[in-house]
Amino acid sequence: MNLAHSLWIWVGAFLTFCIFSFLYKDNPLYKFAEHLFVGVSVGYSISISYHNVLYPDLIVPLFKHGQLLNIIPLLFGLCYFARFIPQVSWLIRLPMGLVLGFGAGAAIPATLQASVIKQIQGAVLTPGIFARWDFFLWALISFIGLICTVIYFFFSKERVKSTKFAAEVGIIFLMVGFGASFGYTVMARISLLIGRFQFLLRDWLGIIR
Amino acid sequence: MKFFQALGKIDRKIIFIILSVVIIIPLLKPFGLISRASSRAEAIFNAVDAIPVGKPLMISIDFDPGSMPELYPMLTAILRHAFAKDVKVVLLGLWITGMGLGEQALETVSHEYNKVYGKDYVFLGWKSGVLPVVLGMGEDIRKAYPADYYGTPLESLPMMANIKNYRDVPFFISLSAGTPGYESWIAYAQSRYGLKIGAGVTAVSAADAYPYLQTGQLTGMLGGMKGASEYEFLVKEKGYSQQSSPASQAMDSQSLAHLLILILIVLGNVGYFFTRKTISKGAK
Repeated sequence: MNLAHSLWIWVGAFLTFCIFSFLYKDNPLYKFAEHLFVGVSVGYSISISYHNVLYPDLIVPLFKHGQLLNIIPLLFGLCYFARFIPQVSWLIRLPMGLVLGFGAGAAIPATLQASVIKQIQGAVLTPGIFARWDFFLWALISFIGLICTVIYFFFSKERVKSTKFAAEVGIIFLMVGFGASFGYTVMARISLLIGRFQFLLRDWLGIIR
Repeated sequence: MKFFQALGKIDRKIIFIILSVVIIIPLLKPFGLISRASSRAEAIFNAVDAIPVGKPLMISIDFDPGSMPELYPMLTAILRHAFAKDVKVVLLGLWITGMGLGEQALETVSHEYNKVYGKDYVFLGWKSGVLPVVLGMGEDIRKAYPADYYGTPLESLPMMANIKNYRDVPFFISLSAGTPGYESWIAYAQSRYGLKIGAGVTAVSAADAYPYLQTGQLTGMLGGMKGASEYEFLVKEKGYSQQSSPASQAMDSQSLAHLLILILIVLGNVGYFFTRKTISKGAK
């Protein structure tokens, strides 16, 4: 055993046990660690935001280099705080409108291209899939799954015999998808637990390398 | 029947203790189960391997300490690979709380390979807003990042002299724990500027990443701690690093824990199957 010499490793180990104590039941130690985490995260974020964004991108250009155009984003940013003054709270609509307008304008075509058009292209059976029999088989299964799942989510018309069958096949594909996601979720949670045990056994107790 | 009824009533604290034991024992005494690399991990490895000397690999830290056990080993393994191949590294991130992890990984791995800041690697850090950053770098990295994480102007960093925008970045990896993450890079940097992207993702989001892999939008993918262990395996196998591999060391525990959970799921269902008549009678 080679116990850690750093105070911060001991703090980390103590906080880990505080969080683990929730597995027994909710208690003040868990609450302490939870609140400390929230506070530290916010403090850290404010500090990085100031040093990496506010100071170099606004304060320096505006107040040190005299680039007066930076007053415009400053004023827009300050409008967010108008929320606290009821008489001028409508001013918040200005930055919100800008952010929503720019965000939607940039996101809609990009997301359509990346997540819809490309995915449809990927689902279409192309001549390339006939290169190998297993390519063809998986592409066909994927294609059937796509069609049946889309039919399952089509609610505008009552299902007749054929579409009912396709929707039921779609449910099977959905269940397989949920199963895969659940399996991966279990893997993720176990990984996080292993990570904590590695920290305790290696960094804190020095039992493993 | 009593046995099956008892199965459904196991105290969760007992399960926690058994799970802890099952995880700790292989960490203390590894069984040495063999971990091989998948084609998805090999695709990322080969893409990094193919980066010409002097050209940069760009890595985005789109995660925070909550996903550290899964994504941090990927970051260190990829950095070791890049530095061993004399590939320049540009590190940045879309998650503000991941910056400390990026700095820590660079400090640790750059010392192992005697790499110099500004010449061999640069840490750009974090900027607010995903769209202006990702789109802005497509035009000119200096528009989004006039200075690095430490406030040094990019003009004074020798490595950045020949890196103007995505056209100068042969390969990009997003280590992603959610949104914003690899999907943002695909939507804005790839769709518009054709950036070649690979992703390291948490296991929770791995299933969602497969469609992007199938369409070729992702060159390769590392999924969870298993993905990290696959990359560590490749880096060691090719002789790029002999450092300890935390993800690979965890694979015995991971496998055993999965086995335990499978057994518990089966026992739980068997218990339910044999007691459901009793339960339904009780309900009536």
